[in-house]
Amino acid sequence: MKLSLFIFWLVLSLTLFAARQEPQPETSKEYQIKAVFLFNFTHFVEWPAASFHEPTAPFVIGIMGRDPFGSYLDETVRGENLQGHPLVIRRFKSLDDVDACHILFINIADKEEIKHVLDKVKGKPVLTVGDVNNFARQGGMIRFITESNRTRIRINLEAAKQADLTISSKLLKLAEIVETQSK
Amino acid sequence: MIRQQHCLLLNRAPLFRLVRLVLTVILSIMLMPYDAFCQSQDLLPVDTLKKLSMEELMNLEVISVSKRFEKLAEAASAIQVITKEDIQRSGATSIPEALRLATNLQVAQKNAHDWAISARGFNTDLANKLLVLIDGRTVYTPLFSGVFWDRQDYLLEDIDRIEVISGPGSTLWGANAVNGVINIITKKASDTQGLYIEAGGGTLLNDFIGLRYGASLSPDISLRVYGKYFDRHDAVFPDGTDASDSWRMGQGGFRMDAKPSAKNTFTFQGDYYNGKVNLSTGGNSDVYGSNVLGRWSHAFSDHSEMTFQLYYDRASLTQDVPESRTEDNSIVLAPAGTLKDDLDTYDFNLQHNVGIGKSNRVVWGLGYRYTHDVVENAPGLAFSPNRLDRNLFSVFVQDEIKLMKSLLFTLGTKIEHNDYTGFEYEPSTRLQWNVTSKQTLWSSVSRAVRMPSRIDRHVRLPTPGFSPIVDNLLIGGANFRSETVIAYELGYRAQLGSKVTGSIATFYNEYDDVRSTSLSPPDPVYGLQFPLFYENNLEGETYGFELNITYQVFDSWRLRGGYTLLKEDIRVRPGKTDFNNALNETADPKNQFSLQSSLNIFKNLELNAGLRFVDSFQFNTSGVADTVSNYAELNVKLAWMPIKKMEISITGQNLLHNHHAEYVISKPNPSAEIERSVYIKVAYRL
Repeated sequence: MKLSLFIFWLVLSLTLFAARQEPQPETSKEYQIKAVFLFNFTHFVEWPAASFHEPTAPFVIGIMGRDPFGSYLDETVRGENLQGHPLVIRRFKSLDDVDACHILFINIADKEEIKHVLDKVKGKPVLTVGDVNNFARQGGMIRFITESNRTRIRINLEAAKQADLTISSKLLKLAEIVETQSK
Repeated sequence: MIRQQHCLLLNRAPLFRLVRLVLTVILSIMLMPYDAFCQSQDLLPVDTLKKLSMEELMNLEVISVSKRFEKLAEAASAIQVITKEDIQRSGATSIPEALRLATNLQVAQKNAHDWAISARGFNTDLANKLLVLIDGRTVYTPLFSGVFWDRQDYLLEDIDRIEVISGPGSTLWGANAVNGVINIITKKASDTQGLYIEAGGGTLLNDFIGLRYGASLSPDISLRVYGKYFDRHDAVFPDGTDASDSWRMGQGGFRMDAKPSAKNTFTFQGDYYNGKVNLSTGGNSDVYGSNVLGRWSHAFSDHSEMTFQLYYDRASLTQDVPESRTEDNSIVLAPAGTLKDDLDTYDFNLQHNVGIGKSNRVVWGLGYRYTHDVVENAPGLAFSPNRLDRNLFSVFVQDEIKLMKSLLFTLGTKIEHNDYTGFEYEPSTRLQWNVTSKQTLWSSVSRAVRMPSRIDRHVRLPTPGFSPIVDNLLIGGANFRSETVIAYELGYRAQLGSKVTGSIATFYNEYDDVRSTSLSPPDPVYGLQFPLFYENNLEGETYGFELNITYQVFDSWRLRGGYTLLKEDIRVRPGKTDFNNALNETADPKNQFSLQSSLNIFKNLELNAGLRFVDSFQFNTSGVADTVSNYAELNVKLAWMPIKKMEISITGQNLLHNHHAEYVISKPNPSAEIERSVYIKVAYRL
């Protein structure tokens, strides 16, 4: 048993050594995954042809509020295109900047502010995505939720329909469907 | 075997001390302050993430550390994953039936309750080159290094996935992963919340019921308990008469998962089962056992995670052994009797994944397994010694080195020490080239060993009725060594467009010291050459490939096809002999083909079908080859969901023949065949 004891102490000291190793720079894997979700949405949602001015007009993913993705969203869409529309990322500083985009990721905590943004794009074919509480019930179309350490999605189908967006049944099957809460 | 009614731990002081030591160490580590939570996360390659389906993305742990190590390793091996959806859609009623979905396995049903399952051949009656794990617990038996498939069960609804890796996995996975690894992973308790009930019955599966309830004890702790029972009808003999081999079994268990902090996860689980099998040869067999397992994973940082695992498993068997006679029936060699076996296994495992610098990922680990086996011998089947304690120590280290952005080189070895043959080395190297984000080319060379099992060294087929002329028909070989393989693999995995994924794995295996049966020198009076005994006089090569293609025809229709080619040349080493003429180790079809279709007719109506073709193959009857004919068989499941939480289904299995043979055990006794069958099932998820 002396040998085992030795081995365990060896293990202990090694793990302590390992624990001291420097962590790498901060980037969240959570948002890496969400960035890929955003990219994948382009395959599962149909935008009306009218949402593009010309056949080679870019497909715009907009970010409203603080950008949580770092460079990751850019890396994800680099070189990608959707039926000839190159994918581009635009970051909007203020509500007034928000204009023609196809997906709008809203990273704002304040409910009232979210409402302003949603109102601004209301009726336009813009897929609104967010991950704050009640985002979908408030009228946002897709909300990311973290459940048991995994990313799930919640879809407000009615809101998407009103914006003339068709969400594939394949995506719907994986999502929880909610309705806008009138209030 | 003598059933030990009292506490085994107290009986074995050294073991008790070891367990206590382990617990002390774990406790002391737990008490150390590791509270500096670290925000940074391991970044995954963007191309890898983009390759994943939405389901797979949803299954990614947002905060994870070491899973990725496994994922990368898997990409460069002949792995096929049977998902929970595959299992549900197939209508499988047992783990072996679910394993038919992995086209890189050979699966043959022997009778109503037993299967022969192997990868890359050697699917003999006592198939012994596969490592099978259920949630990290090894389930092959050291009696013969094979698996008693009639005692491996679970509520299929709660199985998350089954990973099937063909080819040696010894470096990482450990003992007995000579030709492949089957890794059965159940869902986390947090994924099985609420009530689930299933019940049904049919022509072969007379009736079955399954029940599970899952609840959250706190936001961080989830628990489930389950129970199930089934009763299976007899298979038939070739002439259609009952084979008297019915099988019924009950099983229950629990699993608790806790994640008190982002850096610690705990799992505690256990199962108990009790089954009764009728035997075609007469009498019956009681199979019962239980296990408990605890696992703790701790993330020191994003680049360093350690997992400790402890389990205890008890497997018991009480089996009637028929009378044995000479071929002309004139002499009773041994009267009928009962064999009892109680096997206790204590296993400790530690694994540490750690990233060193930017281009090295090291995985290393330690393992210790102690088995205590007690056999109560039958007159015609015995083990000598009947009581045996065995120790297995193992240590492994593997480094994955990023040579270039898309080129990974993996080098590692496992060193094991067992009580039969001492030290064994199982090294492997692997090269993975990510040609593009959607294509991977990989190659590997590895060595694996199958250590001796009880049967190789200690089995006896006594013949008291013929004593003293012959005392035993067969005995284990006192000098039986480990069987070895050196495997060369080359594989390619690709996503072709958005609808097709495919993989091909080719292999060339060189075997040495494979088990053979030798004759004793003739006795001076009668010239009889008994007892037969085991030696290692076989050698040879096997080669072939496994092809697998998935085609998503429409959103609602998926096809999956598989083809496996296996060629074997196992022969007696020059100058040596084998009583079985090198026929006893290979009972494998050269060609296997399968096609599975999953179709959603409407949103609430699913039609699934699985067609399989298995080539004819040769098996051994005392040194002469006989043939099992080729066959094609079809399973179909139609499922209707009248409401979201309820599924009513009808499943037809083996629909193309009244009955067909998949395996033959011993001539001249007839072997059981598998009948066409139908069952109905109602499942309700609350």
